[in-house]
Amino acid sequence: MSILTTVLLYALYAVLLAIGAAVASWLVFSVVALALWLVSLPVRLTVPKSGLMRLVKAIQLGLFGAREAAGFVLGWIIVLLLPVLKYGGLLALIAAAGYAIWKAPMILLVFALSWLVTWKLIPWLWVRLERLFGGSGKMTPITKKRVARFRRIKRGYWSFRVITTLFVMSLFLELIVSGKAIAIYYDGNLAFPAPREWVDKLAFFTKISSFEKASDFGQVGDQEVDYRKFAKWCDDPSELDGVKKELEAKLEKNEKRFAKMKPPKPDAPELKRKRYESKQRSIAKTKVDLAELVETRRKFEGGSAWVLMPVYPYGPQDLRTDVEGSFPLKPSLAKGIPLGTDTSGHDVVALLTYGFRISFLFALVVAAIGYAIGIVVGGIQGYYGGWTDIVTQRFQEIWGSIPFLFTIMIIGTMVDRTLGLMIVLMVILRSWLGITYYVRAEFYREKAKDYVQAAIGAGVSDRKIILGHILPNSLVPVVTFAPFGIVAYIGALVSLDFLGFGLPPGTPSWGALLGQGLGDNLTHYPHLTIVPTVALAISLYMVVMIGEAVREAFDPKVFSRLR
Amino acid sequence: MHGMTSYFIRRILLVPVTFVCITFMVYAIQRLAPGGPIEQAQARLQQEMAAEGGAAAAATGDSALDEETMKELQRFYKLDRPIPIGYMIWLGVWPDRDKGGKLSGVLEGDFGTSTRWADPVLDKITSKFPVSIYFGLIGYLASWLVCIPLGIKKALNHRSNFDTATSMLVFLGYSIPGFVACVLLMLLFATDMVYKIFPLGDFRSENWDTMWAAGEYWWCVKDQIWHTAIPLVGWMLASFATMTILMKNSLLDNLGSDYVRTAFAKGLNERRVVFVHALRNSMIPLCVGIGHAVGLLFAGSFLIEKACNIDGMGLLGYTSLLQRDYPILMGILVFLVLIRLTGNILSDLILALVDPRVRFS
Repeated sequence: MSILTTVLLYALYAVLLAIGAAVASWLVFSVVALALWLVSLPVRLTVPKSGLMRLVKAIQLGLFGAREAAGFVLGWIIVLLLPVLKYGGLLALIAAAGYAIWKAPMILLVFALSWLVTWKLIPWLWVRLERLFGGSGKMTPITKKRVARFRRIKRGYWSFRVITTLFVMSLFLELIVSGKAIAIYYDGNLAFPAPREWVDKLAFFTKISSFEKASDFGQVGDQEVDYRKFAKWCDDPSELDGVKKELEAKLEKNEKRFAKMKPPKPDAPELKRKRYESKQRSIAKTKVDLAELVETRRKFEGGSAWVLMPVYPYGPQDLRTDVEGSFPLKPSLAKGIPLGTDTSGHDVVALLTYGFRISFLFALVVAAIGYAIGIVVGGIQGYYGGWTDIVTQRFQEIWGSIPFLFTIMIIGTMVDRTLGLMIVLMVILRSWLGITYYVRAEFYREKAKDYVQAAIGAGVSDRKIILGHILPNSLVPVVTFAPFGIVAYIGALVSLDFLGFGLPPGTPSWGALLGQGLGDNLTHYPHLTIVPTVALAISLYMVVMIGEAVREAFDPKVFSRLR
Repeated sequence: MHGMTSYFIRRILLVPVTFVCITFMVYAIQRLAPGGPIEQAQARLQQEMAAEGGAAAAATGDSALDEETMKELQRFYKLDRPIPIGYMIWLGVWPDRDKGGKLSGVLEGDFGTSTRWADPVLDKITSKFPVSIYFGLIGYLASWLVCIPLGIKKALNHRSNFDTATSMLVFLGYSIPGFVACVLLMLLFATDMVYKIFPLGDFRSENWDTMWAAGEYWWCVKDQIWHTAIPLVGWMLASFATMTILMKNSLLDNLGSDYVRTAFAKGLNERRVVFVHALRNSMIPLCVGIGHAVGLLFAGSFLIEKACNIDGMGLLGYTSLLQRDYPILMGILVFLVLIRLTGNILSDLILALVDPRVRFS
C-alpha cells in the first residue's frame, strides 16, 4: 500500500474518531428529531405525495404544526418512557412528586433526557462507531483498569458527570430558558414555537420558522405573540381589563380629535383627505378590537386558551423592558431579575446559561478538530521520521512563534467575526500544535518497541500497524491533554470577548459581560463582574479537576521516597 | 560540543526565516483589509467638512476625495505598491522613493510613522517598554519567590493535608485567567464592596511626577506599590500553577532517584540531601523557563493592561488595533516575534548550560 493511501485512510480514521464525541451529540438529537417526525408520519399521510420536494417542504414547514400535535406528544412520551422503563418507577415517582409545581416536570424531563443521552446513548454510539471501524467495541484490560482508577478519584469523576450532563442539558436550552412558549393554544390554534426554534438550531442545514403572529393568538397586530403577556392573561383573565382600558382611552382620545376635524370638501388637498380617512379607519379598527377583546376575554375565561412557558421565560435576545428603571438593572428577586441585566437590558440568567453552552461548544469543537489534525501530523512525523519530520518540525516552530491572540485580533478587525471563523482561527493558529509533539514522541517510542518491529518484520501493512497497533497505544497524551486544552480555549474565547474581538456582538458570552463591568460599572453594578467570574471559576475548576483525575488515572506517577 | 554548536547556529539561522514569514503574513493581511487608514481619513475628512461647511459641504462630501487626492493618500500611506514590494520597502530591502530612493525600513531601524498620532513608531513603542518590563520583571521574580518554596513544601509533604489544600488553591489559580482575577480583586479591594484599600487601576497616580519632583520620594514609592499590587497578582497567576506543580513534581522525581538513595545510605542528614543534592537538580526545568519569561516581560499583558488601565505595550496594541494603526501594530508584532524567538533559543541554551546530560543535535 502506498504512503498516500495510508495517510489518507489514517487521516479519515483519526478525524472520525476525534470528532466523534462532538458529532455524536448532534447526531443523537437529529435522530430524536427524525423519530419524532416519523411518529407524526401517519398524520401526514393525508398530504398528497408529489416527490422528494414535497417531503423536504413538509419537513421544513410543518415539523411540529398544529395537526402533528398528536405525533409530537407521542414522540415525547416515548422518549420520556425510556428512562422510566430503564430505572423502574423511580423517575416516574420523582416526576409525579414534582408535578405539584408545574415547572418541575419540565426540568426533570430535560435532566432525564440529558442523563440518558450522556450516559447511555453516547457510549452506545461510541461502541457502535468503533465496531464499524473494525474495533472490538470492548475495552482492553488496561483501559478498563484506567477507567476504574478514574472512577475512584471522586472529585474528578463527579466533576466529569456534572459537567457533561450540564453540557448536554445546555443543548436543550431553547426549552428551558427562552422567551418563546413550549406550547400555546388559542381557539383551535396550537403551536410549539420553542421546540420549533430548538429544531431550527439543531437542523442547521435548513430554516424552520418559529414565528407566530399575534393576531392568531388573541393579541393585536402582525408582530410576534407576546408569550409572557399571553401567559399572564391565562393565569388571570382580568388582566385583560387593563388592555380594555387602554383601548378605550385611545378610542376616546381619537374620537375627541376626530370630532374637531371637519369632513374635507371634495376639492380639498389629497393629504388632508387622506389624513381624515385614516383617522376614520383607525377609530373603526379600535372599535373592532374592543369588540374582539370581549370575545378574547371570554375565551381566556372559558379555558380555550392555555400556554406552557419554559422554566425561565426570558431568552438571551429578550430585553427586560418589563422592569422599571434604566439598564443595567441590579439583581432583585422581588422584581423577577435574579441576576440582573446587562447594560443593554438582556437578562443575565439567559446570558449565563447560553454563554456556558457557547463556551463549551467552542472549546470542544476546537479541541476535537485540532487534536484530529495534531494526531495525524504527529503520527506521520513520529512514524515516518526523516525529512518529513524535519521539515514539518521547522514549520511548526515558525507557526508556534506567531502571537496568536494578537493575530486573531488583527484578522478579527477585517472580516465579519462568526463562531465558525473563531473556531477555524483557533484551530489553525493554536490547538493542533501542542498535541503534535506528544503524539510524535509516542509514535517514535512505540515504533521502536518489539511488538511493532515484529509486525513490520511479519510484513503487516503500514496502515494496520498505525491504526491497529500504535494509535491505540499512543492516545494517552491526547486524553490527558484534552481537559487542560479545553480550559485554555475557553480562557482564550473569554479573553477575546472581553477585548471585544471575539464572537459577533449580540452573542451571549461571559467575556463580553465581564468587559461591560469595567470602570464605573465596577463600583455601581458589581453583578456584571461577579456573575461571569464565579461561573468561569466554577466551571473551569471542575474541568481542571477532571483533567487532574484523568492524568492521575491514565498516567499514574508513583513517587517512592526513602526517609 | 560540535553537534551542539551547529544546532544553535541552525536555530539562529531559522530566526530570520520565521521573522519574514510571520511579518509578511500579517503585512499581507493588513493590506488586504477593508477599513484601512484611507477609509479612516475619508471618514474624518467628511466629518470635518460637515462640521465646518455645514450642509453644503456635507452634500458634496461624497466627492470630497477625488481620484487625485485618493492617489496622493495612497502614496502617503504607502499603499500604492504591490504587496510584495510594499513589504520589501517596509522591511528595508527595496529603495523607498519617499526617502529619496534610499533603503529605509525595519532593518535600518525605521518602523515608519503612526497613522493616528503621526509619531515615529519606534519612539511610541520604546516609550512603553519601561512599564511592561517593570511588571514583567517584578511579576516573574515574585512568582519565583512564591512558587519555589511552595513547590518544595508540597513535595516534602506529599499527600498531606497541606499538599491537598494548596493543590486546590493552585488549580483554582489555574482555572481563573489572570485578568479575570484582576477584575475580581479590583471589585473586592478597590471599591467599597469589601474594603477599599487599593486604587482602581492605572499605573500610578496622576500627580506622581509632580510629587517626585517635589521630593516626596516615600509617598511616590508607596503609591507605586499600591498601584502595582493587583495587576501583579494577575501577572503571577499566569505561571503560578505550572511553576509550583513543576517544582513539586521535579523534586519528587529526584527524591525517588538512586543518587538520593545513595546520599541517604552514606549517612547524610535529610536537610543536606534535600536542599543540596536533590533541589539543585530539580531546578533545571524551572531554569528553562527563564528563556520563555523574556517573552513574558513584554507580551501577555494585553488583557491585564486593558483590565487595569495600565498604559503599556498591550494597551498601545489594543488602541492601535481599534484605530487600525497598522504601522504601530506591525512594529509591536516585530518586537513580539523577535522576543519570542530569542526566548526559545535562550531556553535551549540555558538548558544546555545547566544540564550536561542534555545534548541537542
